[in-house]
Amino acid sequence: MAGFKIRKVFADDLGANNPVFAQVLGICSTLAVTNVLKNTVVMCVGLIFVTALSNMTVSLLRKYMPSRIRMMVETLIIASSVIIVDIVLKAFLPDVSRQLGPYVGLIITNCIIMGRAEAFALSNPPGLSFLDGIASGIGYSYVLIAIAIVREIMGSGSIWGYPLLGDWWTNWSIMVMAPGAFFMLAIFIWIVKGIRDKEEGESS
Amino acid sequence: MKKESIAKKRIFPVVFMLLITLVFISITTVIYTFTKDTIALNERLRLKRAVLYAAGVQLPDDPVEIEKAFDNRVTEVKDDTGKVRYFEVRESDSTVIESYVVVRIGAGLWGEITAGVGFDRDLESFRGLEVIDQVETPGLGGRIGETWFKEQFRGKLLPLATVPEGNATTENQFEAITGASYSTSAIQDIMNSSQEYARMEILGSQ
Repeated sequence: MAGFKIRKVFADDLGANNPVFAQVLGICSTLAVTNVLKNTVVMCVGLIFVTALSNMTVSLLRKYMPSRIRMMVETLIIASSVIIVDIVLKAFLPDVSRQLGPYVGLIITNCIIMGRAEAFALSNPPGLSFLDGIASGIGYSYVLIAIAIVREIMGSGSIWGYPLLGDWWTNWSIMVMAPGAFFMLAIFIWIVKGIRDKEEGESS
Repeated sequence: MKKESIAKKRIFPVVFMLLITLVFISITTVIYTFTKDTIALNERLRLKRAVLYAAGVQLPDDPVEIEKAFDNRVTEVKDDTGKVRYFEVRESDSTVIESYVVVRIGAGLWGEITAGVGFDRDLESFRGLEVIDQVETPGLGGRIGETWFKEQFRGKLLPLATVPEGNATTENQFEAITGASYSTSAIQDIMNSSQEYARMEILGSQ
């Protein structure tokens, strides 16, 4: 039973109920950090950590938390987790922290975290909520990483900062700017929806 | 339907919120207290590294070696309040000043750009540039922190003008970043204004 639930959580968050392309959450950071792969990966790791930790904490407190102040409590938990990530990065990975700059603080505003706390953690046990946080984080991460790979290659001719395409390639500056992310995200959603519609059409 | 008591309805949420805030503040405070020395050391090391880089000193990889090189070669000149005005850089065990470094702040696209600017001892030509802090767009203006961009300032003369990438030919030109003209001109302003500042600070105090 537990195994079935865990499988369902992962299948949901990675596929049919993916936070980015199905629920269209977390779009601000999808636009902001996906122009360079390295920043994207650190952002994703930070988000997975924060979502899992806050989901678990909210779930632990769910039976004691008065429902009318639950959003304040959730915000407090999320903000504390993000501050912890920020401090740890500053102390142990100062270069990465410097490159990410204000983006770490922006994890607080990522709707996925609050969304999962409200939709899942409030009605499920801590262990499963923790896994749901990880699954949602991974669901968010693979979409962002796919977009970041395309944007960095086309916008800077490199991948993870290493030159890939050489001098013949003219960088598409638009790919590094926010509009590039809109285009890439739209194309991504278009492809995924197309595939899923086709599958549904075949199964019905 | 059972009616909730006033205590449960009004007071409990307030007490709960207060307690939970105390718990989380304590957790973050403990983590901060344990890491604040490491963070301060990192910041300090970053500044030392930046001063040495802007002065054109070959940078060792090991943080301990960087500390040693800084202590042996760099003197901080401070004002009465203890604020650093500029850095004097010498060869190890020498009294002759090789170069000067000043830290300047300019307006970038999203926020301030803090840069270390190095000069030869005559304050005529640039020794180098290190971007200490910046929040420019990653991949565009953020490229002011890349090595190719910073390295091109070594030996350049004032006043600096920008040319497109790959076209710098004279000592007064540097290559702009395509698609990031605002960040490029912020660096141009910092570089061009830093000589006057350095002269005022360094020659004025001698």
